[in-house]
Formats: sequence, C-alpha cells, structure tokens
Amino acid sequence: MAADDDGDVFEITDFTTASEWERFISRVEEILHEWKLISCLCKGPAIKGAYANGVWEEKTEELSFADFKFSLIHIWLKAKDEKREKSAEKESGDDEENDDREVTPTVYGDLMDMENDFPSRAHCLCRWYGLQDFVILTPANNSDAVLGESKIKLLLSSVNIALTDAGCCVPMFVQAHQKWRRLYQGTCVLPSANIEFGMVQLKRTPPQYNHLAGLLDVFKAKMGSVADPRPPVSVAVRFLYELCDWVNSPWSQPLPDFDDEVGCKGFDQLPFGACEDPVCSLSLYCTWPCLSEDMIVENHVYSDLDPLQAPHWSVRIQMTEDPLCLLGEYLSTFLALCHRKETLEQLLSGFGTEMREDSTGDISNALQRLTEPTVGYNLHVPTLTSYVSQPQKPTRKSKDAPIQGELLDQILQFLFPDSVKPSDNSSTETEENTSTVQQPSHPVKELPKQLKSAPVNGLLHKLAVCLCVLNQNNGGFMAVVQIWQEFILEMRYRWEHNYLIEGIEPGPPNLGSCLLQQKLQMLNCCIEHKRKRETLHKGYTGVPESPPSSPYRGPSTSQLSRSLSHNEAENVDQSDALNPIAENDQASGSQSESVAENSNQTNDSKTKKGPGSQKIGSSGESSDEEFFECNDSDGDQLGEKDEDTSERNQTEESMLEGAEDTENQSGDENEAEIDENQSETEMECEPVNISQTGSLAGSMTGSEIQEMVGTDARHSISNTSVLSDSAYKDSFSHKPEGRLALFQDLKLINCDERMYIPVTQEPAPMTEDMLEEHAEVLAKLGTSAEGAELRARMQSACLLSDMESFKAANPGCVLEDFVRWYSPRDWIEETIQDENGVKTEGHLSQRMQIPGNMWVEVWQTARPVPARKQKRLFDDTKEAEKVLHFLSSLNLSDIVVHLMPMLIHAALLKAMDNDDPSINVLKQVIEQACLKASQVTRSPQQDAKRYEELIRIIMQAEIIIARNLSLRSKFTTDLLEREDAQQELEHFVVTILQNSEVPVRGGPMGPAGSVISKLFQSAQRASYMILDEEESDERMDDDEESRLNSSVPNFPRPLAREYILRTFVPRPAPYSKQLPQRMFCSIEEDDFRIAGAFTSDSVFQ
Amino acid sequence: MASANDSKWQKDAADQNFDYMFKLLIIGNSSVGKTSFLFRYADDSFTSAFVSTVGIDFKVKTVFRQDKRVKLQIWDTAGQERYRTITTAYYRGAMGFILMYDVTNEESFNAVQDWCTQIKTYSWDNAQVVLVGNKCDLEDERVVSTERGKQLADQLGLEFFETSAKENINVKAVFERLVDIICDKMSESLDSDPTLVSSQAKGTRLTENPNPQASGCQC
Repeated sequence: MAADDDGDVFEITDFTTASEWERFISRVEEILHEWKLISCLCKGPAIKGAYANGVWEEKTEELSFADFKFSLIHIWLKAKDEKREKSAEKESGDDEENDDREVTPTVYGDLMDMENDFPSRAHCLCRWYGLQDFVILTPANNSDAVLGESKIKLLLSSVNIALTDAGCCVPMFVQAHQKWRRLYQGTCVLPSANIEFGMVQLKRTPPQYNHLAGLLDVFKAKMGSVADPRPPVSVAVRFLYELCDWVNSPWSQPLPDFDDEVGCKGFDQLPFGACEDPVCSLSLYCTWPCLSEDMIVENHVYSDLDPLQAPHWSVRIQMTEDPLCLLGEYLSTFLALCHRKETLEQLLSGFGTEMREDSTGDISNALQRLTEPTVGYNLHVPTLTSYVSQPQKPTRKSKDAPIQGELLDQILQFLFPDSVKPSDNSSTETEENTSTVQQPSHPVKELPKQLKSAPVNGLLHKLAVCLCVLNQNNGGFMAVVQIWQEFILEMRYRWEHNYLIEGIEPGPPNLGSCLLQQKLQMLNCCIEHKRKRETLHKGYTGVPESPPSSPYRGPSTSQLSRSLSHNEAENVDQSDALNPIAENDQASGSQSESVAENSNQTNDSKTKKGPGSQKIGSSGESSDEEFFECNDSDGDQLGEKDEDTSERNQTEESMLEGAEDTENQSGDENEAEIDENQSETEMECEPVNISQTGSLAGSMTGSEIQEMVGTDARHSISNTSVLSDSAYKDSFSHKPEGRLALFQDLKLINCDERMYIPVTQEPAPMTEDMLEEHAEVLAKLGTSAEGAELRARMQSACLLSDMESFKAANPGCVLEDFVRWYSPRDWIEETIQDENGVKTEGHLSQRMQIPGNMWVEVWQTARPVPARKQKRLFDDTKEAEKVLHFLSSLNLSDIVVHLMPMLIHAALLKAMDNDDPSINVLKQVIEQACLKASQVTRSPQQDAKRYEELIRIIMQAEIIIARNLSLRSKFTTDLLEREDAQQELEHFVVTILQNSEVPVRGGPMGPAGSVISKLFQSAQRASYMILDEEESDERMDDDEESRLNSSVPNFPRPLAREYILRTFVPRPAPYSKQLPQRMFCSIEEDDFRIAGAFTSDSVFQ
Repeated sequence: MASANDSKWQKDAADQNFDYMFKLLIIGNSSVGKTSFLFRYADDSFTSAFVSTVGIDFKVKTVFRQDKRVKLQIWDTAGQERYRTITTAYYRGAMGFILMYDVTNEESFNAVQDWCTQIKTYSWDNAQVVLVGNKCDLEDERVVSTERGKQLADQLGLEFFETSAKENINVKAVFERLVDIICDKMSESLDSDPTLVSSQAKGTRLTENPNPQASGCQC
C-alpha cells in the first residue's frame, strides 16, 4: 500500500503488514469478543433430556483466511434460568472435584455427565462429547474442505491462539475433510488445563476394535497414565437393533375394488387409507447407562451385552415419508381440476361426437336441448328406467365419451335411484342396497353446524363423491364433465316433467347448506309449485300435463306443510289426520284410493320401495300400475278399507268428472283395464281427492287443516259439484273463495259471517345469492324516510296478496277484520261499562289509524281475489330457468369448487369414522380440519387455495390414522402374555405415534418390551429360513454367542453400537491433576468412529 | 386485525368511511316497539306510533369503539307471524340480535323462547343476542317484572336490559353492549386462529352478503 505523506500512514502500514494468518486469528478473537464468550461463565450440566427436548441456539459469522472463507458457528443449549439453578445444585452435590477447584468449567461437567448420554436428537458434537456449548470453524462453502494435516494443524493452532488470547473456555472445533464425513478436531483452553478433541473415522471397523475390550485398550493406551491404582473406566453402551420385516402383520390396505359392479362400490364411496405401509421400520435402542469396566465383558468371543438384559429400552419408529394416501390423493386430484380454465362447451367439444346416441349431431345439440327441449330428448328417462331390464342394450354413448354403457347406467342409477324401475331380482337387490345407503349409514356425527354442505347421502353428496372417484379412475375431467352434463339434463328433465328431485332436503332453500344445494332445493320448490299449479288449473287449461309414468308421484303434503307460515300446527301426517275422519264421513264418500293416495304422497320412499318388491319379474308394465298396486297395499295397511266401497266411490267421483273427461268413466273399475289411460285417471283422482278432503275441512270447524288440503274448501261449503268447482271461473263475485279454515270463533264486524282464514300464497323462497341481491337492493334505497317508504312498498306484494285472499274468503270484511287475523296486537279491545251492562269494544291501534299508512292504502287497493287467481308471488318458471341456467353456465372449475363442500364433508366423515379417541394429535387434527372446513365452506368466496389447505389437513389426519392402524396391527394384543397389560400396550402405541423416541416402560420385561422381543424373534425366524448356513455362522461369531444353543438368535446383529468410556486420570504426568477423559465410539456397518476428549494439565506437566 | 377487516366490511367503494361493519337485527313480537327503539337510537326521535313495519327495514349508525369506526347496519323486522319466513331468511347474515319483548305484554314475553329457537335455527352459532324488555316507562301497565326478565335472560344465557324508547332509557347502552360483545368475540377468534387474519385479508368482496360473519370474524 503506497504511503502518501501523512505520519498516520505508518501505523496503518504496520497493521497491514501482519500476515493473513495473524489477521485470521485476530478476526476469530474479535468474533469471540462479539459473542461475549470470553468470560468463563460456568454452566452446570444440562438436566436429563434437555439435549433432546431443549432449545438449541445458533449464531454464525463469516470470516476468511486469505481467500478461503470460513464460518464460525456458535451452538449452545438455551438454558432456562430455572434449569440452570437446578443443575447448579446438582453440580455442587455431585462433582467430586468440586472441592479441589473453585469452579468446574462447563466442559468438564459436560464430558462426564451421565444424564444426557445418547440424546435422541442433537448435534453430532453434542452426541459424541456431551457438550452443550461449542464453536465450530467450518468452510463456508459446502463443497470446500480443509484437506491435509498441516492445514488442519495450522487452523487448530490459530484457534488455540485465539482462545488463549481471548480467555475463552468454550471448546472450538475445526471441521476437516469433506463435510459429510463430520470429522472434527478441536481444542479447549482452560485456565490450568487444555483439552484435545481428536477423532478417527474409518469405513471399516478394525476387527480388534470391534468390541468393548478393544476400545478400552485404545482408551487406556491414549491416556498413557501409569497412575496407581488407576481408577476404573465407566462405560455406557447403546446398541441399536432395527426391525424392518413385520412378519406378523404385513400391510394390507384393501385397494378399492373398482370392478365390483354390484352395489356400485366403485363410485359411491371415497377411499380411505394408505396404499403402502406408513410405518417403515422400528429402531430399538438398548442402553446400559452406567457400567464399570470390570462388570462387563465384551470381546470377540463373548458378550455380556444381551439386549434382553439391557436396563433401558427405547424405541423409535421410522415412518414412511409421504405415503400415498387414497383420500388425500383423490381429493387433491379433483381439486386440481380447478386450474382448468376452459368452459364446459370447450371441454365438451372434445368429445367430438355426441354423447347420446339417441340424439343427432355433436354435443352442442345436447346443449341446445337445454334451451329447447325436444321430443328426442324426452326419451332419456324412459331409457334410464329400462337400464336394468336391458343391460345388454348397446351403449348410447359415442366412443369418445369416457364413461360408457353399463357403467354410465350404474352411475345414473346410483345418483337417481328413483328413476329406475326395478324389474328383476338382481336389480331389486341393487335398489335395496341403494336405499340402505340412503339411510345414514354411520351414526350421525355432529359436524359443526357451520359446515355449509348438503345432507349426507343426498344427491349432491353422491354426485360429489361420484365425480371425485370417476375423475381418479374413469377418465379424468372428461368423465366429470360428462356426468355433470348428464346431471344437468336430468335436472331439466325433472323440471319439465314435474318429477321432484330425489335426495334433496325438502322445503325452501336452507341457507345453512351450500349454494348448489340451495339451488336444487329451489328447483324442487319450483317443480312442486308447478305441479300444484297445474293440478289446480288442469280443468281450465284443458291440457293436462299428465305426470308421466313414474314410480312416485305427488308432492308430499308433509313437505308442503313445512312451508306454511300461518298454520302453527305442525301438521302431522296428512293421511293419519284424514283417515279417521274419512271413515266417519260416509256422505262425502271416503275412498281408500284417495286416502291411500294421500299416504302415498306423504312417503315417497315407501311408495318407491313398495312397487319394487312387488313387481319382481314383470318388466314391461308401466309404473302407473305400480301406483295402483301400491295403493292397495297401502290401503290394506290403513285397514278398514272396504275394497268395494272404495271402488264404488271412485266410480261415483269419476262420474261426476265424467262430463269433463269421458275416457275415465269406464277406466276406473278395474285396475287391469286402466292400462291405457292411467295417467289421466291418476290426474283425475287428484281433484276428487282434494274436494273430499276439502269438505272434510269444512266440517272440521276451526281445525288446523293444511293449506294444500283446504285449497278447495269452498267446494263443500258452496255444496256445488266437483265439476263446477274444478271449472275455472273468472268471477269476482261475492261468493267466498279460497277459504282455508275458520278463524277461531270470530265473526266479521260488519256482518254476521264467521271469519275464515284464507288460503294464501307463500312468499317466494330464496337462495342466498337471491337474498343477498334483494338485501342489497333494499339497502341501496338508503335510510331516508322516502327510502323506507319505497322499501315497504317493494315488500308489500305479499301483504296485498294476503289482503286480497282475505277479502275473497270473507265477503263484506273490513280492515279491522283483517288486522284481527293478521296482526292481532293492532286490534285493541276495551271493556266498556255503560247502562246496558258490560260490553267489549274494539278499535284499531293508533298506528293502524295513521292516515294514509301502508296498510290502509294497500287494503284499499286490494280486490277480493283468491290466492290461486292472483298474480303469482313465486314465478316458478322463471326461477327454475334461472337455476337451470346457473347450473349449465358453470364451468369445470366452478363445478369442482361448488362440489367441494360435500366432498370435504364426506372426507371428514370418513376421517371421523376412523377416529381413535386415544390419540390426541389426531383429535386435534380432525378438530382443526372441521373448524377450517366450516370457515372455508362458509366463506362467501369459495377459494380453491383454501380448500387445498383444508385437504392438506385432512391428509394429515389420514396419515396419522393409517400409522395408528399399522402400529396397532403390529403391536397386537395377541402377542401379549398377560391380558391386563393391554392398556399398557395401548399407551405405548399412542405415545410412539406422537413422539419421536419413546422409552419402553419396564424395558425388555415390560409388556411392550415383550411384544417387541417377539416381533424381533419372529422376524429373525422368518429371515433365517432363507439365510444360508454360512451367514448364520458368521452371525453367531458375534455378540449372539449366548444364543448358540437355540437354533435362531432372538435379535439380529445390532445395526449400530455406541460406547462412551469415561474416567478421571492425571495427565500427562502421574503427578498432574486428575482430569476428565472421555472417549466415544460408534460402530456401524460402514462407519467406525472414535471421538476422544483428553484433558491434560497445563501446569504440572 | 383492522387492516384485515377493512376490505372485508366495506360496503361499497363510495362508502369506505368505517373500519368494520356489523349487521344487527331487531326481532320480537309485533308492536313491542322495535321500530321506535331503532328510531330512538339512530335518529334520536320518538313518535308514539310508527306504521307497522312491512317486511324488513333498516337504519345505519356509525359508532366509535377503540378508535375504530364501526358502522352498524341495523335491520328492523316485522313482528307479525306471517313475516316469519321472510325475516328469518335474514338471520344468517346477522352478527348480533336484539330480541325484544314488551314489559306490558305477557304474550310477547312468552314468545321470547320461541324467538331464541328461531335464532338458533336460522343464524350461525356465534351470533350474539341481547334480550331487551321495552316500554319500561309504562310502570302502571307492566306485567313482566324485571326479575322475570333477568331470570329468563340468565336461563337463555343472554345479556339483559330494560329499556324505554320513549324515555330514552338504556337504548344506547343496548347497542353499545352488543357491539362490545361482538368485538370481543371477534378478537377472541382472531387470536385463537391467526390464519384467519391472513385469509380474510384476501377477501375483497363487498359486504352486504348474507353471511358477513361467515366470511369474516367467526365470532
């Protein structure tokens, strides 16, 4: 460096002339100062187990020697204050040399501490030397290595100088050779002594050192002390045995059998469990913690170290990393479909040709049919119904569709069991199977209420599971798209043909379920509404939309009753309520047919099963016949049904209707004859039925009768014929219309008529997105008075409708009457006492009298129109089309995300099925998954990413369950000698699952220990059967000598052996101070290592 | 927490003047004074007779709580039986309920249990409820004693207040308490699940959705 002119320059020059070596040393020193390692702070030995469980800290600094970069790493065990105190106490009690010295350096305590031998998890230097505080000098670059003895020596002496200069008592190591060899040389400078850490590492174990005796020789030779009497060497030994062959319990996860066609096993269940054994191997550590060299003998011919005699056993289980778990795999693959951005149309065009053979053109036709259904398309379900009867039918799908023929039929059957008409034995069986599936098969697990999904085993559950499985096994996303397409078509078909969708919760959309479920519920509401409407208007429209052949019919009245608002009576079973009345009321002619029909309606599934079991062997018949047969059987069940009477009654009723539809007159006598006109007959039956029940309703004053039944209550009251009633009259006469029931015993104010509850329209059901939209519109109006006014007006449709109905049902009524029914608290009654005595007088509440208020206003505009003639509050056609459009506009990723809630739900149930309450970790994971699931499914933004996280948690649970299963099958209680030890074994399995290394309670003598011994034994036997003589001989040369007599040793050769030898010996001269000496040795298959720490007195040498 | 929720509770771009938005619902039998109660709180006005509410209506009030602007969107419902189906649909979006009865009307008190069941059925589990006995100024006509109210509240595990919209007794206290409970619950669940914060931050959807609390606070 060129000096310019200044005097200062010389000083600098003086510094810079120092060699690289000097600078290196000063840098090391500097870092030691920085880290404050200079004062010889003494920590006591760590408490038991602290090395494995405590917190280790690490600090790194970079430095370089010339251009060679090193890192200096300080590693130490973070001591809690509390711990330190405890160990300090121990130290003062235990350490013998404590008297001689003022303070024992940390490193002495560490070297001699017996508590923390063989920590289960620690840095290698900690394991070899028992150190809790040390510094490592290692090449910064991973590929660099300090090679050559002179270089190592140079570094060591540098370190030595630095340590001495800094007065640092922490041992420092220099890593030599390649890093993977983990070869360290170290030094530690103490006030009156220094420690030399040396190491040998070989690939092959020299035979003379392959046992304790040889190692003791090395140790003693190294000390070279001639002190007399030489204190005995204390020895700690640990042997590792590994068990890889689980002879008793090979892993047998039954793979899902996709070929099993019976019961649709292939696609109705999510698989669960690991494909491979999640438990890989067992490591058994047998430890002899503290032996005197005199007590134990191990040399090349004999060994005292029998694992069964080891005082301490611990076990570690090696788990298979990321075992392939079916559930997780299926879920993730399905979710991965989210990343496909194509629209459904684009994907479908991939089919090339059309999916359905009975339609022409490509798949776009199928899409067209979504908007304009054609006759050809209508063929769909009849085909579906004949799937089972004609299994050999040629496939309807083009060759490109991934799912074809029989499988497709099965899937559709599985999804829509109600559209299949069972016709032979085997299919009946299938039907039964599916219906058992429909019942909750597992005890209902209480998933958090917040989980927004759909009822278990409902249509959407099945669909989600089915698509997930198909995606995995039957053609990937194309299969998903195909089945989804089928699903949409089916939905449309059902809407157009008034079939209710099976497997969907009845009633208005349940906002606690997922959006897709709500949409389907909405569609069902539409279908129900439409059926009701069309039934009522049939006579008027003249075009009976006859419900086509189907094994079921009619909206269940019990379902309808749920949507009734003002009828507080939770109407029980319609048929039950009606039956006795029907019997009593002979005049109105109760007929078993209609009653049976009612009961038929109330229980779809019953009806469905009924014909199924009866119709064995008769494949060609239409389902209407089933309907009638079913009636018979149901009628029988109801009992007291005189067949003759019922038939006569039916005839009568039919004749009344005959003017309208003459075809039916003859058709009703005998079931066999009705074949042709069945659908019509069935249709006709309905009004008859209603009029009857209506008349019943009329005769039951003030009783709680459902809206549905009472729809035509007016018939009986006006005593007109069924014919004139069912004819649609366009009149606003003052003849009361649309009465449901009497309202208590109230009379109208202005006339002497009794007050009737009118039949009212139900407010339109809404799904959550509609509701959201609606609320937003309302909120947008703001909080001003005008806004509020407008809001009220927007919502007045329902009020108007109710008022109109009320007016129609109660001719001559006034607002006061309406209020008394509708909002009773706005009718104030006062008792007035005058000369004529006590009388009650009523008037409207103050708020109802506000001039020009909404109620008055609406009342004035309301005309007497019965509910059925009013403008519909619920436009089923529009809503249904909206739902169908929603369904068909989803693209693949939307479909997947919308189905995720059900899939997650199913997966959680699966996991819970396999739950084991004894495993805390599992419980936590499942709880976490449930919590997360409820959050994710409830989030308005359905995010694939969050589902991924969720699936990861579920996978975690699955792996734990698989491990648990595997461990349990391995440590079976069959291997136990005593029954009472069962609990102990269970405890063992549970702890082993949740911890890395687990001590075996009771060692080899404990119940778990004995099971482990047996496992080793049987594995040994199994392996010896294939081992040849020579090898076994070799084995017996080893430490298994004691087993010579038995044919097979109980344990294999230990995989690894570790020895720690310790003693206090004066070094280097006999008159030196007694100082701790330690040697660690580990012998493995291809690694032999001796790590020695030898202290020598630096004063009395 | 605030930043996480900022985006969540924003109603729309124009109306960003708050840190949180809570949706509250006032329910109870017809003519117990729900609308009056709300007008007293939101507008500090009282009229002896408001037109009977048709369907649902709402008012907005912004309050401050711990330096945070909390916008309360308070939905007022019609109490008539006939409107049950319509109003219960809105339950799921509400984070808090004010369940009101009229201390001068036994029937409205007897219906409290029913209303509670309705809340349980139609709202998320974690919605907070306060029981309120209104019209406590009408001591002469009182038929439900304070003790009975308290007892019922304890039994149902709800907070309890007696109020008067007319005399402006306890009206503000009810809302403040309800907001407090909701906030507490919210921070509680955020503490217990830190992942919520980050996941919420992602939500950019404008509120007004029917499940604000589903999406957000999990309280």
